[in-house]
Amino acid sequence: MANTERRVLLSSSPHFSSPETAKRLMANVLIALAPAAAYGIALFGLPALLTIAVSVAAALASDAAFRLAIGQKPRVADLSAALTGVLLALVLPPSTPLWMTALGAVFAVVVAKEFFGGLGANVFNPALIGRAFLIMSFPAAITTWHKTVGFAGALTDATTTATPLNIIKLGGTMGDVAASVGSSDYASTLWTLFTGNRAGCIGESSILLILAGGAFLLITRTIDWRAPLAMIATTFLASWGFGMDPVFGILSGGVVFGAVFMATDYVSAPVTPTGKLLFGAGAGLVTALIRKWGGYPEGVTYGILMMNAIAPFLNRIVQKKYGWVAPKKEAAK
Amino acid sequence: MSIKTFKGGIHPPVRKEASEGKAIERIPAPKQVVIPINQHFGAPNQSIVAVGDTVRRGQKIAEGKAGGPMTVPVHASITGTVKKIEVRAQSNNTDGICVIIETDPAAAEDSSSDAFMQPLDGFSCTKDEALARIREAGIVGMGGAGFPAHVKLAPPPNKPIDLVIANGAECEPYLTIDEATLDEEGPTVVEGLAIVMRIVGVKKGVIAIEENKKGAVAGLNAAIASSGRGYDITVQLLKTKYPQGGEKMLITAITGKEVPSGGLPMDAGCVVQNVGTLKAIAEAFSEGKPLIERGLTVTGGACKTPKNILAPIGTVIGDLPAEVLDLDRDTLRKIVFGGPMMGVAVPHLNIPVQKNTSGVTFMTAAETVAKEEGPCIRCARCLRGCSCRLSPVLMNNALESGDLERAADIGLLDCIECGGCSYICPSNIQLVQRFRVGKQLLRAKRAAAQPKPAAPAKAQA
Repeated sequence: MANTERRVLLSSSPHFSSPETAKRLMANVLIALAPAAAYGIALFGLPALLTIAVSVAAALASDAAFRLAIGQKPRVADLSAALTGVLLALVLPPSTPLWMTALGAVFAVVVAKEFFGGLGANVFNPALIGRAFLIMSFPAAITTWHKTVGFAGALTDATTTATPLNIIKLGGTMGDVAASVGSSDYASTLWTLFTGNRAGCIGESSILLILAGGAFLLITRTIDWRAPLAMIATTFLASWGFGMDPVFGILSGGVVFGAVFMATDYVSAPVTPTGKLLFGAGAGLVTALIRKWGGYPEGVTYGILMMNAIAPFLNRIVQKKYGWVAPKKEAAK
Repeated sequence: MSIKTFKGGIHPPVRKEASEGKAIERIPAPKQVVIPINQHFGAPNQSIVAVGDTVRRGQKIAEGKAGGPMTVPVHASITGTVKKIEVRAQSNNTDGICVIIETDPAAAEDSSSDAFMQPLDGFSCTKDEALARIREAGIVGMGGAGFPAHVKLAPPPNKPIDLVIANGAECEPYLTIDEATLDEEGPTVVEGLAIVMRIVGVKKGVIAIEENKKGAVAGLNAAIASSGRGYDITVQLLKTKYPQGGEKMLITAITGKEVPSGGLPMDAGCVVQNVGTLKAIAEAFSEGKPLIERGLTVTGGACKTPKNILAPIGTVIGDLPAEVLDLDRDTLRKIVFGGPMMGVAVPHLNIPVQKNTSGVTFMTAAETVAKEEGPCIRCARCLRGCSCRLSPVLMNNALESGDLERAADIGLLDCIECGGCSYICPSNIQLVQRFRVGKQLLRAKRAAAQPKPAAPAKAQA
């Protein structure tokens, strides 16, 4: 053994490397999600906490079980499955039955990720696939919303309500939205939406905390600014263009959460700078289109999933390399 | 003074403290030297001495018989007897013919036995004489690449040069020899720069150094002021960032221009020479001294005596006495000729210092952690770290799927192999190693696709 320890190694340069690891990057995203998750638990109580816990547990267990079944080393420690679990839980309503949450997490990890080849090989964002699977399978449960009841409160039939986006989708006015969040005028309604005390998914409600998480990810250089900014800006402009209230559009649904945490998913988004911009812009546009004309009040999930499908094509748009020269046109003969 | 730089690149730990600021120490004359006869690009040299011959320090021992434009001769670095001419391990991890010279102890202390050329005034001789002198002195780029110096200085007439850059950036971690050379030999470097400027006919020269070597500025400015050659030479500070000393990055940082794809610095109107090369050029004129010794850094965590040394070309690293080089053999994990970013790992110490050996880094297991490759998570850090705006991850995908032309479209052949992408990859994927292989595959494929030279003539007939 001493001999092996003392051997001199040969390898191609470089001979040292950055201490950055994939696990560390995943951990950064988990840290960035913590405030929004904690706030979701504070708003909706124990069911929210259980949803997150069950989702993470199911994701980790199914990841390990599947990899063992196919004879691969489990990769639980890389935090990727845990992250998928948290992301899925945060885009579900707090009242989602726990068995559904677990099923969604298993589908996300096994079908959306491992079937495609595991970490780094999936085409679609696993958490969003899990959510889309649940919406299609159990539309009623996944569109049942509750008023915020505080950590000690209980989610009961008496506390069901509509999300602000739902209210507008069903022909309501900003006045109805204001009533639902308990504010009196337009400005304070928007402020409430920004800070997050409203019905909705566990982690999507507080724009403020999501942006704080996004800022952390930008400062630690975990994510790139292009896709989120393009997505939010395009949703804003398209909503405006389609005659919807653009500020409300940004603050009310899952646009900011999707832009910061879903459109920046490494694996399913393009890697090139221009690709990222177009990816975000496309996701924003589809979101606004679905909100305006689609059957769902919210379009973030499908906006991002559709762009996931064309990410490989967006990767064709590479940067102009150093010293790029325009190809000379063939002289006419 | 403004601090310039380029876009992209990485910030590896610098780790120059160990040998920084230490005077260049001339090592005791080695008992024998092992001199590879090919230390340049271009047509191979042949040995012009035989076993048993007595050779003098500075005497030419190998040159290209065919005399191709890129060949550069090799000289004896000590006075003594040729003991063997045989194949030995070289610093680029290949084997090649080496001339092994055993010292004549009587001549070791006596410089009168040296066989140097006559001194030549680099400012009154013709340009052709000056170029011939640089070639005859066996001077190649001493920063690492080993490109013949005279070739860079003779651009074709349709490529006007307007700037000469003395490259003292030394962005490679650990190494400090360029900095030490600037500190100690500033006037010689300035003289070499002036000679080069005179040869290529430009009035403007820049000595480029990274910000972390700020201490050399005052000395250089004094050397420039007292040079009296009448050339406009300035010192330019650059941001400490890797690969700031790469020719392309250096030119872009200083001029804002980019070297066109597939081109050379001369296509951007620039000539770049390492500061050590400029010192060697100055000495080839003032003393008639060929490139027979060079400064290098011996450093790294497993080196108990990190320092800058001046060693004859051909000095075998393992022959260095313990007072010059003492290694902690228990922790030594990697022997790297050059620095950790672009250096070549070698299997043992029985390898000579060559013209392009800027240092030898002895790394411990803690410094050179061997990590397992993980799956690519497509984080795009490699795009951010690339100094050439390539997309390493996509190039790697194209190579994995065997699509060499797609890889070339992204810029495979434009990759300068700086290793920034491999360094920054959180999954430890050995990107640059794959690009080196990919380049060879692409060149082989293109060469195979070329019609044989005779074929078109036949078609016409």
